Amino acid sequence: MRPSRILVLLLAMLSGGGPALPGAAQEQPRRGGVLTWFDYGDPGRLDVHSESPLGVQQATAGIYSGLLHRDPDDPTRIAPDLAERYTTSPDGRTYIFHLRRNVKWHDGQPFTSADVKASFDRILRPDFKSPKCGAVLKRIVASVEAVDAHTVQFQLKAPVPYFAEAVASAWCRVAARHVLEKYGDLNRPEAQIGTGPFRFKRYERGSVIEWERNPDYFVPGLPYLDGVKQYILVGGATQLAAAKAGRVMLWDTWPPMRKTQADELKAARGDQVHVYRHPINTIFVLYMNATRPPFDNPDLRRAVMLAIDRQELVQKGLEGAGVPCAVLDPKLVGDFALPLAEVETMPGCRQPKDQDVAEARRLVEKHHPGGLDIEIAFRQVGNYADRAQLVVAQLRRIGIRGTLKAYESAAGYAIYGKGDFTMIATQDRAMDSTDPGDVFAFVYARDAGSNYARWSDPGVDELVARAAQETDRERRRRMYHDLQRMILGGAPGAVPIAWVEGWFFVDRRVKNYKPAPTVYDNNTFMKVWLSE
Amino acid sequence: MRRLLDRAAWFARRQPLGAAGAVLVTLLVVAALFAPGLAPHGPKETAFAPYLPPSAEFPMGTDHLGRDVLSRVVWGARLSLYVGLASVLVGITLGALWGAVAAYLGGSADTASQRVVDSLMALPPIVLALALMAALGQSVTNVIIALTLLLTPTAARTVRAVALGVKEHPFVEAARAAGCTRGRIIARHILPNCLATYIVLVTTNVSYAIVVEAALSFLGVGAPPDEPSWGGMLTAGTQAMEQAPWLIVFPGLAISLAVFGLNLLGDAIRDLADPRLRGGLG
Repeated sequence: MRPSRILVLLLAMLSGGGPALPGAAQEQPRRGGVLTWFDYGDPGRLDVHSESPLGVQQATAGIYSGLLHRDPDDPTRIAPDLAERYTTSPDGRTYIFHLRRNVKWHDGQPFTSADVKASFDRILRPDFKSPKCGAVLKRIVASVEAVDAHTVQFQLKAPVPYFAEAVASAWCRVAARHVLEKYGDLNRPEAQIGTGPFRFKRYERGSVIEWERNPDYFVPGLPYLDGVKQYILVGGATQLAAAKAGRVMLWDTWPPMRKTQADELKAARGDQVHVYRHPINTIFVLYMNATRPPFDNPDLRRAVMLAIDRQELVQKGLEGAGVPCAVLDPKLVGDFALPLAEVETMPGCRQPKDQDVAEARRLVEKHHPGGLDIEIAFRQVGNYADRAQLVVAQLRRIGIRGTLKAYESAAGYAIYGKGDFTMIATQDRAMDSTDPGDVFAFVYARDAGSNYARWSDPGVDELVARAAQETDRERRRRMYHDLQRMILGGAPGAVPIAWVEGWFFVDRRVKNYKPAPTVYDNNTFMKVWLSE
Repeated sequence: MRRLLDRAAWFARRQPLGAAGAVLVTLLVVAALFAPGLAPHGPKETAFAPYLPPSAEFPMGTDHLGRDVLSRVVWGARLSLYVGLASVLVGITLGALWGAVAAYLGGSADTASQRVVDSLMALPPIVLALALMAALGQSVTNVIIALTLLLTPTAARTVRAVALGVKEHPFVEAARAAGCTRGRIIARHILPNCLATYIVLVTTNVSYAIVVEAALSFLGVGAPPDEPSWGGMLTAGTQAMEQAPWLIVFPGLAISLAVFGLNLLGDAIRDLADPRLRGGLG
């Protein structure tokens, strides 16, 4: 076996990340108890392969296992899960996964390589919409074959440095072939049959989702908890009230708490909770529809790029918890990100804003002497309304008069997907991994799943594709630096506002909980236990 | 001028609570009319530090986005009064016409129209308003439309009841005998005799419309979030109630005083306009 050198590098780069939470290494884990937390909305559909909202991931995380996953003891590392080990061919194009034996599905059926093949064949099917796992793997995986009952081979189209991390994504879970054959998809609660540490117990729409311990889990002694109960709590005030009342034991979901909420929680619960600030590997983006007026005009896109005051948006919209302007966050991807010192001197990002606002106003007046009126969309989730109001105020300074239009969450996604908007004031896009290529592949490439702006630049597309397959780290780093300069210095359809951070909490009774570098990972709670 | 002051003094002696209401309503109207001059800053101007407590510079503090709360409260008076007056004038006028025509025509036309009124009034007002806003979308104009649809059936039912009595008067019979058309009888004889009821409906429902607008904005379906709506300001304030209580105190106070003043004044006008209706409408 030859562990991927890039993976080792990545792990070395990431080691030491993450907040310091109350540890439990020296304490003897206690079995029993039900952990409670919450989801910001009702997931509705539960198919982890075909859905993308965080709520779906939260609802099903503990039910399934992956070939690899983020190590529950150190989520910055990739660790074996259903695959006890894997090997890579010398040319980096073939990965062979050796599966655990004696693993059972929750309904008692044996787990085999046929399940892995069925799952990934489904995810990779060209006509199957898989916005998370499939969006990444379809670009790089040529085929998946079951070598024998306990060995699976992945053939890649080209060697890529992030394959193991991509497979370890919480969206690339393995589902049972017989379940897929029986139900056709994984949307229904009764189809939630996995090999994970918990079994799906109950789903009351709009109210609660419950898991119970899987007594046949393939890791002996785990999980420690009897179950996990996830309340569906919509709205910051409700979520905070539940936290203050001790009804939820942790807050490690989107949206994070704002500082004022964190202060309120600390005042209410004192040392019963541990409150911490943490990046969530999520970029806050403003979109302009590049296929319809007025933002089909690059001058106007550039004007918005120059006028938006990212520092103010972070200060007021995120209460200071964010990294303004960055296309890549150095905290998350190290030196793949442009140094912030360079970013902060670029037009549009530099302070004070006077010079950039004047130039932006000139560009607007050049095409619309009396200014222009536009409709600005946002989804009514988190504090998007606050951010959108700041955007409207900032655009008014350059003669763009915005009228806000609020959409219910799912309706907003539908409108964005159809391109039926002029501007989206604010949209957070969580990354699926810590690979620096994610943000370009998800937001800026022509076929990116979250390229709501429908913007494309052949130069950017070509560089995104090349960088994704570049195995020389230094060359790859330079490519991503070039991409960041192209975006910050150009007129893209998506303005990178900031990398989002926020405040979270863990109840002191919750032990061994380790937040992951992405919001989607390490939500299985397989090694979490309660002290009382 | 002296005569006006004498009348005001007479009104204050006759209706002291109504006079107090008139003072509050006057303040509301002045704030609404002269908001650009009275507000120290723009209501959407986010140029200041967030969460500044009340001080000499910002008498009502600043909100979470760094906007002057005093300026938003003052501009909020304009929005509230605009929504309240527009929806009430349109809604009550349409309802009054509907009620008067139905009452005069009688028969199956009246019966059918009353079943429509029954259907609209069967739904809880706030639920109907929420449904309408969900269908129409979030905007100030749509709030006015939703409120108009809430107020019209109430006015239709009330004015119809009055018009049923009016149409039995001899002067209506005389007009009919003289060959007046239905339209003329309704316009010249029925409606003028429903005017007292109309005025009472208008004055008592402006406060109701303001409260419903605030409730819709509080629930996030009323005025767009950047508009200085008192209800919207309350919603934003609930996010930091403990650290920045001024964010809910001042808009809350504005709603309470405006509604209190309008109700006191409305009651007084009702008593003066038609003492027979004392306590009968609201």
